[in-house]
Amino acid sequence: MSIANKPLSMTINGKAVGPLNVPDGLMMIDFLHEYVALTGSRLGCGQGVCRACVAILDNPDGTSEEIRTCITGAHFFQGKKVRTIEGHAKLNEKGEVVELSQIQQKFLEHYSFQCGYCTPGFVNAATVLVEKLKRQPVDKDQVEETITEALNDHICRCTGYVRYYEAVKDVVMNTPGLVKGSK
Amino acid sequence: MIAKPFRFVLIGLVTAILAGCGAEASSTADKAAAPASAEQVARGKYLARAADCAACHTAEDGGAPFAGGVALETPFGKLFGTNITPDKDHGIGNWSADDFYKALHDGVAPDKRLYPAMPYTSYRSLSRDDTDALYAYFMSVKPAKVANKEDELHFPFNLRFGIVFWNMLFLKDSLPDASTGQSASWQRGRYLAGALGHCAECHTPRGKLGQLDLDKPLTGGVLARIGAPDITPAGLAARGWTPKDLETFFATGVAPQGSAYGEMYPVIHLSSQHLSKTDLTAMATYLMGDKPPAPAPLKTVAADAAELNAGRQLYTAVCAGCHGREGEGKPNVTVAMKGNSTVRNADPRNLIVATLDGIKEQRFPNNGAMQEMPGFANKLNDKEMAQLANFLRASWGGQAADVTADAVKALR
Repeated sequence: MSIANKPLSMTINGKAVGPLNVPDGLMMIDFLHEYVALTGSRLGCGQGVCRACVAILDNPDGTSEEIRTCITGAHFFQGKKVRTIEGHAKLNEKGEVVELSQIQQKFLEHYSFQCGYCTPGFVNAATVLVEKLKRQPVDKDQVEETITEALNDHICRCTGYVRYYEAVKDVVMNTPGLVKGSK
Repeated sequence: MIAKPFRFVLIGLVTAILAGCGAEASSTADKAAAPASAEQVARGKYLARAADCAACHTAEDGGAPFAGGVALETPFGKLFGTNITPDKDHGIGNWSADDFYKALHDGVAPDKRLYPAMPYTSYRSLSRDDTDALYAYFMSVKPAKVANKEDELHFPFNLRFGIVFWNMLFLKDSLPDASTGQSASWQRGRYLAGALGHCAECHTPRGKLGQLDLDKPLTGGVLARIGAPDITPAGLAARGWTPKDLETFFATGVAPQGSAYGEMYPVIHLSSQHLSKTDLTAMATYLMGDKPPAPAPLKTVAADAAELNAGRQLYTAVCAGCHGREGEGKPNVTVAMKGNSTVRNADPRNLIVATLDGIKEQRFPNNGAMQEMPGFANKLNDKEMAQLANFLRASWGGQAADVTADAVKALR
């Protein structure tokens, strides 16, 4: 069976990519790895369960959401804006990291991972959560439940959940505007 | 709309007067209560599974067995399964075997008439031996002090005396067959699927007063959001079913034609997986008949190329990752779309609803599983949903690409 290629363009981490000639059935994670050399997104289960492959989709209305790149076709992203784990830290002209994102920094401080395979998905999920809380802050007494709900689908095999949780809670509690005053 | 159904009730009232109210009178002296044997209790347990009593009488997520509380949404309001444990205050602890028989056979409990949500319309055909075994089993389960919930029915359906007329009009001694057969297996299957399994209650369409449309047995009904498909021999064969595949489906919840979802998912778990192979063969034999029609080969249907291509693009973008590029599915992950019973259904309702709402992760007997299917209600608009459904129907369902955006909108 012949593979049909189609031109594909999108914005990844703020940069315009393409048009590239890409097979129409290619999954996004393979596109990221093989066509644009962004290898930070992890292929875990390959069937949308573990969330190691999660990237961030930026919607035109300013909202952001998690998207599983292992089960979403690359061409789904035609004309769309996406962020991957490589897009969080600030880089200098040489491509060196000069400043981590707040989530990344807190993950480091809390030593929130062991093998690190699922970390890209967790960082992206936590980032989406923080962005959502900027738009819709929650009451202080809902913080724990909100974090649990946001990260619950992500699987970590090194039992790092508690440290992820603590890092995200640290960010949420110490970033102005994410939490409403306690009741 | 109360006026029209109410008119039916009035007709029923007149009918009742003409008939001289004869249907009420039926009283038999209670049989001497012989102690139940272990064998009878065991048989009753098997029958309770075959009749899927737990579906309505055991609340999900840790409800005490047979203590009731399961909500049943009907066009007439909400009803709740009742406590059928031997608790004397809330359950059936004070019932005799005769009382129990009358509840199943006539829909009449000692204290009230039952609404036909309790499928006595089907259970009516149960043998007295079997209702006695069921009674023995329920009297052996742990009594649960769980109060029954009040029904939430709209007027005039909240008036139980209306059931008298409903029964006169609609309660029949036997239900019509959709298949033909004479074999012992077919006969046994008829009893299992009709009297016990009460398949007709969901799979036969219903009229305005909730009565089974007995002119169209097992041709499919839409009581719930996921409709119950046509399970006549012709309907099943048209979607590629064979008796053997049906048997596999009843035993495991998964067949080449797809996996159980919607209301059928608990049926597999609570009922059919526990039945003997002989009984499952019998049910499949009954549903498809002694001479089952050959499964219809899958054909591709011509459709507008641009629309089909648009649907294919959508499929590749958001479905193929799990269901496979060629719709082949992945074992214990997703069902195949190619030749899928829901895709092959002429009525696109379930295909659209499943795509809009998604399906929760499923566990099946023998460690089978299907992972969670996300809903696409917020991802795809009506037009895209229709294009996707049409691509599936024409390519892998042998159905016309006739789903409209309006049809999708109506199901949101």
